[in-house]
Amino acid sequence: MSRTIHLLCGATCRTGLRKFALLLAAAAALCAQDFDWRLRPRFAPPSVPADNPMSAEKVELGRRLFYDSRLSGNGTQSCATCHRQELAFTDGLAHAVGSTGQLHPRSSMSLVNIAYAPALTWADPNLSDLAPQALAPMFGTDPVELGLKGMEQTLLARLRKEPIYQSLFPRVFPQSADPFTVENVTKALAAFERSIISTRSPYDRYRYDGVEDAISAAAKRGEKLFFSGEKAGCFQCHGGWNFSGPVRFAGGPAVEAEFHNTGLRAFYKAPNNGIERHTGRPSDNGRFKAPTLRNIVLTAPYMHDGSILTLEGVLDHYASGGKAIPNKSPAMRSHKLTPQQRADLIEFLKTLTDVELLRDPRWSDPWKAQR
Amino acid sequence: MKQPLRLNAEDLSKMPRASVDTRFDGVAVHYEGVWLTEVLKKAGVPSGVELRGKWLTGYLLMEAEDGYQVIFTLADLDPMFGGNPVLLADAANGKALSGAEGPFRLVAPRDRRGARSVRMLKKIEIVLLRK
Repeated sequence: MSRTIHLLCGATCRTGLRKFALLLAAAAALCAQDFDWRLRPRFAPPSVPADNPMSAEKVELGRRLFYDSRLSGNGTQSCATCHRQELAFTDGLAHAVGSTGQLHPRSSMSLVNIAYAPALTWADPNLSDLAPQALAPMFGTDPVELGLKGMEQTLLARLRKEPIYQSLFPRVFPQSADPFTVENVTKALAAFERSIISTRSPYDRYRYDGVEDAISAAAKRGEKLFFSGEKAGCFQCHGGWNFSGPVRFAGGPAVEAEFHNTGLRAFYKAPNNGIERHTGRPSDNGRFKAPTLRNIVLTAPYMHDGSILTLEGVLDHYASGGKAIPNKSPAMRSHKLTPQQRADLIEFLKTLTDVELLRDPRWSDPWKAQR
Repeated sequence: MKQPLRLNAEDLSKMPRASVDTRFDGVAVHYEGVWLTEVLKKAGVPSGVELRGKWLTGYLLMEAEDGYQVIFTLADLDPMFGGNPVLLADAANGKALSGAEGPFRLVAPRDRRGARSVRMLKKIEIVLLRK
């Protein structure tokens, strides 16, 4: 680490002030790395906002909050209601259901490897930090999810009463005169979500550890189809090690989020009109994030609106090339796969399931033992 | 060159070896193989001051197992022209390339996008536009 600081200063510092600023940045980076990500060898850690460094205690506080139904207005739901560990942090529904029964227009997204994602949600190019994102499910009204709108003080009063929080909040946020704030709640949630990293699938063992028999011959054939632009071409949107396009990582370049229109609809009506909802540009109609395909067999139903029930159905959609509309991604081209190739592709997708993720106690419900 | 030059893993292992370290998507990979310029030398393609005339109209048509194609011009690769270092890789992190990566691939570290770092490379065709 000290070598990094030295190189930074040697390369760029011209004034004492700049040197001081860089040292501060380096110190923040040091804090950010005071956490054991338990990453696969040769994998860079995700980037962490300077104002919310990682720590084991913060992640533990975030885990408590994530599984705490006091975070919903009527006490019926927590973040984990729609992000279930056993389903790779999705909910198995086409549309998430809020605490008051309201349906979300879109399907619950997996939180796996979200720390590396340049865009967090299906269709908001402006949301790239997990802490402020948590405000949407907590306080949003369109739709109501956790239903906490106008209940900020009620929420904080509930949390203050919990002995575990009385101990954790001041330890995690020692610089705050009163650590019980909505901002600190969201920062702890973000730290927990950031810690959920999945790279222990059979495919990872094959690709990154060189264990040749970690996946079947069929899956290996499927891998070639997946990564062939001339065949299935899936990697064009679901590329990279996270099968979700470019990733952000510590020390890496700035990465712009990608959104794609796959021709699922002839016209995407609001509120499911993709990033057009935020940009206002008609050319952005129907452009959504390509979610990670890690653990994809566990995250049905598929697409932004949960409208396709099976992976076979998803392959049918992509093979069709989608509806003939101007906004469609150029990667969407109709193609034919033989029944064997389809089976191989699905065998490959199955190798992306990380069963350790589904039972790792680092991400499980900490309140369960106490109930 | 009239006859096609066929190279297998053993042939590559006997040529001058080189390596490239990449960090695409934050994953550090140490690729090993042979510089394309060494392959061209073995194929009898001129380089440096000899790379002139019709050879300056030459390019390499790279073709992958699935038919994917890209080109590099001879001058782009030559140290006295573009000097673009492109590795014909056969191993990564000490293991032979396999599956969708191999058995051979290109690694073009100076390219900011990966589309010319062809995976599953099958054929390199030398094409001269001027005969």
